[in-house]
Amino acid sequence: MPAVSEKTYSIGVPVEVAKIDHELKKLWRESEGAATRASLMNLAVYSEAPGSLNSNTQLMARITEDHACRAIVIEADCKAEDDGVDAWISAHCHVSRAGSKQVCSEQISFRLNGGCTSQLPNIVLSNLDSDLPLYLWWQNEFHEPMDPQLWAWVDRVIYDSQPWQDFRAQMRLVESAQAEAKQRIILCDLNWTRLDKVRFALAQFFDHPASHHRFAKIKKVRIDHASGFRSTALLFVGWLAAQLNWRAEKTEGRNKLQFVSSSGQRIDIEIRQCDGQPIHELVLTAGDIEFAVTHAKCGDLLEVSRGIAGEKRVPQLMPAGKNDPVSLMSEELMRGGPHHVYLHAVERVRDLL
Amino acid sequence: MLMNRATDQPEPNPLREGLATRAVPQPCSIVIFGATGDLTHRKLVPALYNVAADGELPPAVTIVGFARRKKRDEEFRRDLEEATRKFSRQPVRDEIWKTFGQSIFYHQSEFGDESGYEQLVKRLHEIDKTHGTRGNRLFYFAAGPDQFEAILKHLKAAGLNETRKGSWVRVIVEKPFGTDLASARELNRIIHNSFTEEQTYRIDHFLGKETAQNILVLRFANAIFAPLWNTHYIDHVQITAAETLGVGTRAGYYEGAGALRDMVQNHLLQLLCLTAMEPPTDLSADSIRDEKVKVLRSLRHWSRNDIAASVVRGQYAKGAIHGDPVLGYRQEENVNADSQTETFVALRLFIDNWRWADVPIYMRVGKRLPKSATEISIHFKKAPAVLFNKDLHDLNVLVIRIQPDEGISLRIHAKVPGTSFHIEPVKMDFHYGTSFGKASPEAYERLLLDAMSGDATLFARRDEVEQAWAFIDPIEEAWHAKKDVPELFFYPAGSWGPEAADDLLARDGRAWRKL
Repeated sequence: MPAVSEKTYSIGVPVEVAKIDHELKKLWRESEGAATRASLMNLAVYSEAPGSLNSNTQLMARITEDHACRAIVIEADCKAEDDGVDAWISAHCHVSRAGSKQVCSEQISFRLNGGCTSQLPNIVLSNLDSDLPLYLWWQNEFHEPMDPQLWAWVDRVIYDSQPWQDFRAQMRLVESAQAEAKQRIILCDLNWTRLDKVRFALAQFFDHPASHHRFAKIKKVRIDHASGFRSTALLFVGWLAAQLNWRAEKTEGRNKLQFVSSSGQRIDIEIRQCDGQPIHELVLTAGDIEFAVTHAKCGDLLEVSRGIAGEKRVPQLMPAGKNDPVSLMSEELMRGGPHHVYLHAVERVRDLL
Repeated sequence: MLMNRATDQPEPNPLREGLATRAVPQPCSIVIFGATGDLTHRKLVPALYNVAADGELPPAVTIVGFARRKKRDEEFRRDLEEATRKFSRQPVRDEIWKTFGQSIFYHQSEFGDESGYEQLVKRLHEIDKTHGTRGNRLFYFAAGPDQFEAILKHLKAAGLNETRKGSWVRVIVEKPFGTDLASARELNRIIHNSFTEEQTYRIDHFLGKETAQNILVLRFANAIFAPLWNTHYIDHVQITAAETLGVGTRAGYYEGAGALRDMVQNHLLQLLCLTAMEPPTDLSADSIRDEKVKVLRSLRHWSRNDIAASVVRGQYAKGAIHGDPVLGYRQEENVNADSQTETFVALRLFIDNWRWADVPIYMRVGKRLPKSATEISIHFKKAPAVLFNKDLHDLNVLVIRIQPDEGISLRIHAKVPGTSFHIEPVKMDFHYGTSFGKASPEAYERLLLDAMSGDATLFARRDEVEQAWAFIDPIEEAWHAKKDVPELFFYPAGSWGPEAADDLLARDGRAWRKL
């Protein structure tokens, strides 16, 4: 079979678009006995970046190790003069943890030239693995028109708001597409997924009811973020504000915000850019206690500690998660259910993003 | 299991919303009695390390090893680190162990020494102050059952069974939960002298397995099975727990226990309960356990004649496993040369309730069988043989594989391609390992987190244990009677047990599944 081994990651063999189904069946017939096809979802990946077909194939090879799916990888050149579609099929195979059997996810790759938006719905819809949910990983900024034909089929749309230039405009597009599709599309922002471990690390300080009184005493939050990740820091602030019922009071420049809690307590937020991880450190001060979450030097662990400011503390270590697309996607694909908390967080800081 | 209704569950933490679908484990000191033993080194501490490495363990959790041997904290930590490096499902990272290891302490004392418990009180108070464990205590009984009474008595005398406001105390008890109904009741009485039932967590690691938990999901989250899950559509049920291993180093315990007490009374009956129970009113611990107890109460009582006709016991003789010759049970180290201990049991039993009336349940468990596998299979009744001019001999079978290669398969009939009407069985197969790349946590990881969260769903309740013994006791009594003792059959190691076990089904016109 023309399967992609774990190290080659090619986009596979070219096929006629009309014969994709036939060619896939042939591919599996040839490998019968040696490999098992597995699929839990359709994962369509859309990008307009030149060369993305190849780079996304590398990502899919790794993502499918943990998430069996039918991958539909699309590279679009919307400015091409001639319309056209080229297609390839391949399989990402790896040895399952259960034994020595090869478990394979199939990938259908497309290069769309010209008229992208009109071709896209048909390309995706005609190549879905039936009865499985459709996850659409949109790697570009959204632009009009957002085709309702496609969106009506999408179960989860995955995007990364971190590089967005105009958050409000982008969210407006997504939300209107969602409304027009008239179905429950779950919005999955990888910029929000990026915050998972840091949110988890901070949340665990407050698991015991005896620590809940400290919520009312929070007076200061400092967040250090890497260059380009201000929006990530703001989403974090939005999360705190939504969950603890703070409302925005005023801003001083880009980096100093002021919120007020439901009990009238003023909370000063400072957002600083530094070298390091997307959210490199955060310190929350409640009364005389500081709760700190800092990236450890080794990179993939967080040091969490609490104590009186200035006193020596013994930090505990927790997983930090990684900021690469494979890790973020894996994290996102592991989760089910809607992201209400994300939507609430966005509401609190939409105007600041 | 999915929803925690424990009364001591804390107020929800608003920052946790959307981050976790399981109940949150709370800070505590885990005191392990018998901390220098195998269970602590092979299972408990590696499990706790894994949940710490996955970020699931609150930082304010400490482990206090309580045992007789003289040791210092540092030596104990080194021993546990070495064991964890050997037995952990994920590699040990130095940075994580460094902080995890600092939460481990050793407390040397005899189990019967009162002053040892008084010192323990002081030590735990100190740990509360330095590590923020908030007075929460989880006592894990990894010592032999003969030590339980002394430990419980002294815990009570030292006031360690008492909860302070806003804190909790729980006790985890490892099996065996007695050796018969009388001893189980006595053990429960002893436990309840010091702890309430709500504080008591009886651990059966089978229930911590992903596939065991998935039985409820399969049955109650898939509407297609509900109408079929009864006497009208099910011909019979088989539950098999086979292992290739012999008695190994456990002869001391096994000689006095045997397969019936070691496996059937707990693991197999638990699997039966999950397979046969009615839908619970909700997913709280007591709702699920209420339904399980009803199954045990509905098991048809044995008469002496029933036991002779419906229970087969066997013992492995010499044979071969994977091509290598192996000793017979009686030749194993520390086994009596004329031992009557059963290493194999096959049973035919009935659940006398509306759903399962007259559906035979066949169970078999054994050591030194050809392969290791634990599976539940539901054999559906035949379709009427009027259309295809052929009696379809193979039944539709739904198989739930508990271990290894966890998954579910369904055997259906299909037409063989061709001009004739040739029908053959085909298998639809779902493998956890194929569809989900992520490895499941070990059973002990799940169960320890549940105990720290106050979720008792996957732990056996007192009445479950006692009902199970009430069902098992008559068999043991028949086997140990002075006359008309049912025969102990011998089977060669590497075979599927004695022929009498096959006859048990053959008499009903059925056969064991070929595994």
